[in-house]
Amino acid sequence: MIAPLLTARTDEPASVLLATLAAQGASGALSTASGIVYLAAGHVVHVESAVTPDLGDLLTHSGALAPDGWWAAIDQAGRRCRVGRQLVDSGHLAAGALELCHLGALFDAAYFVLAHDGPALRFRPGVAHWLGAVRSVPVDTVLRESRRRRELLHRIWPEPAIDVAPLARVPSDPVELPARRGRALAQVDGVRTAAQIATALACRTFHTLVELRRLAAAGLVVPADPATASAEPGPAPLPAAPDEPDTALLRRLLHALEAL
Amino acid sequence: MPGIDESLLEAMRLPGARGASVVDWISGLALGAVGDAPGGDPEATAAETAELARLATESGALAPAGGDAGGPSGKEPPVQDLIITNADSYHLLRFVTTTFDSTVFLHLWLDRADGNLALARIRLAEMADRLVLG
Repeated sequence: MIAPLLTARTDEPASVLLATLAAQGASGALSTASGIVYLAAGHVVHVESAVTPDLGDLLTHSGALAPDGWWAAIDQAGRRCRVGRQLVDSGHLAAGALELCHLGALFDAAYFVLAHDGPALRFRPGVAHWLGAVRSVPVDTVLRESRRRRELLHRIWPEPAIDVAPLARVPSDPVELPARRGRALAQVDGVRTAAQIATALACRTFHTLVELRRLAAAGLVVPADPATASAEPGPAPLPAAPDEPDTALLRRLLHALEAL
Repeated sequence: MPGIDESLLEAMRLPGARGASVVDWISGLALGAVGDAPGGDPEATAAETAELARLATESGALAPAGGDAGGPSGKEPPVQDLIITNADSYHLLRFVTTTFDSTVFLHLWLDRADGNLALARIRLAEMADRLVLG
């Protein structure tokens, strides 16, 4: 029941520690340099990454949920860690919509936290995310999917620089593109990175990467600055240290109060 | 108000249903599955059907002729469903429309002798709507 408490930096890959924690049925928050994985009873219940839109961004920026409804749910249920449940119970969101959006955000963040498997920084037993349980996923499913997604991107276009560099359009005649790809291309401006384009579109970052790599494969998009392009092989620029969950909640509440 | 599992279990109550899943057509991930998987490997089935669904939804030739592909929000898939028929079963893939960013479809595998394709198609469309609208 008692999971190991890691306070110092370890060299153990996050995937190895996650598998151990899953076998122990542990609950808590595992931090890596690129995000936080929340476990409940050995299952992944939530993942946060600085380079992917969170559930609130996906729901409110798309218009699926009014910002007032989102903030009301956090206000009423954040401290009890039942925000997800509250969104459904208050009638703001259908249960299926919440599950689909949450799983979309969970696997999206997990890709950036786990696909390149950096070291685990620390595990805080018992720490729960304020969203609460929506739909949990086995640890090995999340790890396997993160690896599969990396291979999928590689098969589309084996140039990881597309994922991290500012992107530029290659001048060309107008071409017919599928709707999602066309929307992604329209955001390419020589300045923004894939993560920033995903945020602008209120789309999951991995799904945006898929479109951008296809555009790169078609010769329509290139890294804007070759110097930046070769600098970093990772899936995304290393974000600043992720917020502690309580800090994140307080920051969101502060923004909500300021918006009133 | 149905979640993913409730919706899939409801689909499994249709006559002849062998298996049902909800699959992301860009990543190829099954977000939920009940019953049997064609071929016995749910992950491989999801990845393969996702590729098929992606090609259909990205095809200009299969989109409505009216040119209003994507609906008023631009988020409606240009294709509503795919039907694949083989000697002993039907595969029915129904795209789910959401306001937020999601790229999923429901996949229902139906026994050909016991299943009613027309009924299943109507019911699956209703289930896809209820899944996200409640």
